[in-house]
Amino acid sequence: MRMHLSHLRLRDFRNYARLDVDFAPGFHLLLGDNAQGKTNVLEAIYLLATLRSFRGVGSAQMVRHGQKGCFAGGTLVGQGDHEVKMYWSARERSLSLDGRPVRKLTDYLGVLRTVVFCTEDLQLIKGTARSRRRFLDLLLSQTHRAYLPLLQRYAQTLRSRNAMLKRPVPDPLALEGFSRELISAGEEIIRLRHELVPKLSPLARLAYRRVSNEAEELRIEYAPSVKRDFAVELAQSHVRERAYRSTLIGPHRDELQLLLNDRSAAQFGSEGQKRTLAIALKMTQAEYLTGIHGGPPVLLIDDIMGELDVKRRSAFLPLLERIHQSRGQVFMTATEENWPQELGRDVQRWVVDKGVLRKAI
Amino acid sequence: MAALPEPVASLIGALSKLPGIGPRSAERIALHLVQAETGAVKQLAQILVTARDRVQLCAVCGALTEKSPCAVCSDPRRDASLVCIVERPVDIISIEKSGTFRGKYHVLRGKISPLNGIEPEDLRIAELEKRLAQEPIKEIVIALGTDVEGDATSFYLAKRLARGELKITRIAHGLPAGTGLEFADELTLSRALEGRREMP
Repeated sequence: MRMHLSHLRLRDFRNYARLDVDFAPGFHLLLGDNAQGKTNVLEAIYLLATLRSFRGVGSAQMVRHGQKGCFAGGTLVGQGDHEVKMYWSARERSLSLDGRPVRKLTDYLGVLRTVVFCTEDLQLIKGTARSRRRFLDLLLSQTHRAYLPLLQRYAQTLRSRNAMLKRPVPDPLALEGFSRELISAGEEIIRLRHELVPKLSPLARLAYRRVSNEAEELRIEYAPSVKRDFAVELAQSHVRERAYRSTLIGPHRDELQLLLNDRSAAQFGSEGQKRTLAIALKMTQAEYLTGIHGGPPVLLIDDIMGELDVKRRSAFLPLLERIHQSRGQVFMTATEENWPQELGRDVQRWVVDKGVLRKAI
Repeated sequence: MAALPEPVASLIGALSKLPGIGPRSAERIALHLVQAETGAVKQLAQILVTARDRVQLCAVCGALTEKSPCAVCSDPRRDASLVCIVERPVDIISIEKSGTFRGKYHVLRGKISPLNGIEPEDLRIAELEKRLAQEPIKEIVIALGTDVEGDATSFYLAKRLARGELKITRIAHGLPAGTGLEFADELTLSRALEGRREMP
């Protein structure tokens, strides 16, 4: 199922006092000098899709300087039209879908699916295991309705159990009660991650081969914290977890291994390989979501084209071509000098200048 | 800007401590009260004091009552061999409304909640154990919520209360009555499947 954002409306969002703009399906190039507000448009679209900023900042920073709150809204065209409105201020926040307040996050997420490519993606390789778990979690919550509530339940159980382990003498029976909950939610998370990674691995290998200049083989492997039996291993870790006063075994300690020619990319990869790998992983995400949902997600490509050589850029072409054919949507930011001219023909160009967006002639 | 008179400010402070009343509502109620007819306010104050004076917790089950033991505990027609464990006094009212439970109750006054510092010893479990020793209880029905803490507490109770011939059950969770499968979320459905029953 294809989807696109047909209208975006911003009020006091970052450097946009007001913005009302219609977007057709297809390829949109946002051009402008630095600090004019190109990325802010991408951030707003990502926010509508995920309720988060991909810049990893709190909502307070999205409010235009000197204003109390910000508004972001849009019309999404997919399986029918949807109207999204969101308002954020320090005192109140609201989110509505088709005029009705959203009560459950799971009812909302998935209305707009996006994949963002940005410089922060490098954290997928250089960052801690947490960023790679988040990559898996994002994919699973975008494809399994039950995953997000499951993850939330696991996180809550973990917090409770850790609080209990911090007591001088935890009640063993009460601790066992929380251990059982941890195991039952945890096993389900492990199972879903186990199912997911082998499906991603071939897509990732292909994507990497397309983007890379060299011939290394990429393999991604799920390295769960639990080797065989969560219950047994949790029990075995008891003395250690009492010493550390924290739960040491479970999916919150999982790792996603990224291997180039069977060696850890984080440890042995070059800067260029890491960059290539980050892009390949995001392409994998886009390809996987396209396969599951029968239509591509909206791609948000933030200023990464300038850093890439022609070979790596051209790796994007098949993906972009397919999105074009299936009437999906891509938003890409670039400066006037470095936008990829080879994408020329069906590009809709926009100029961003001091918080104003207008069609380029 | 002129500030509110001190008594109004302290009234707002006191009201905003009540559950469900934020600073805005507290201000509205306070401003209403200080401008209302004196008689009506005195009457309200009297009603508050009376209600607090007359309502107490049943010494046996922990329900809200005027007279301890409460009406349910002292009703000879209720099945004394069956006791239902609930988290809060108000849960009794929900179950009573269904009109299908003929046993007695026991209020825990909370659930095990490490994040809020609530441990088993803060709950009315010792009182329940005393009842098990004194009353002819044959079955305990655990009727706690199905959130993490509710589930962990249910497990704890089942283990701690287990003794001799005592039967311990937990109320079923699954589909809401009278709806189709399409309205159930995945977690509810999978639990409903786990708790399936054989048909005659």
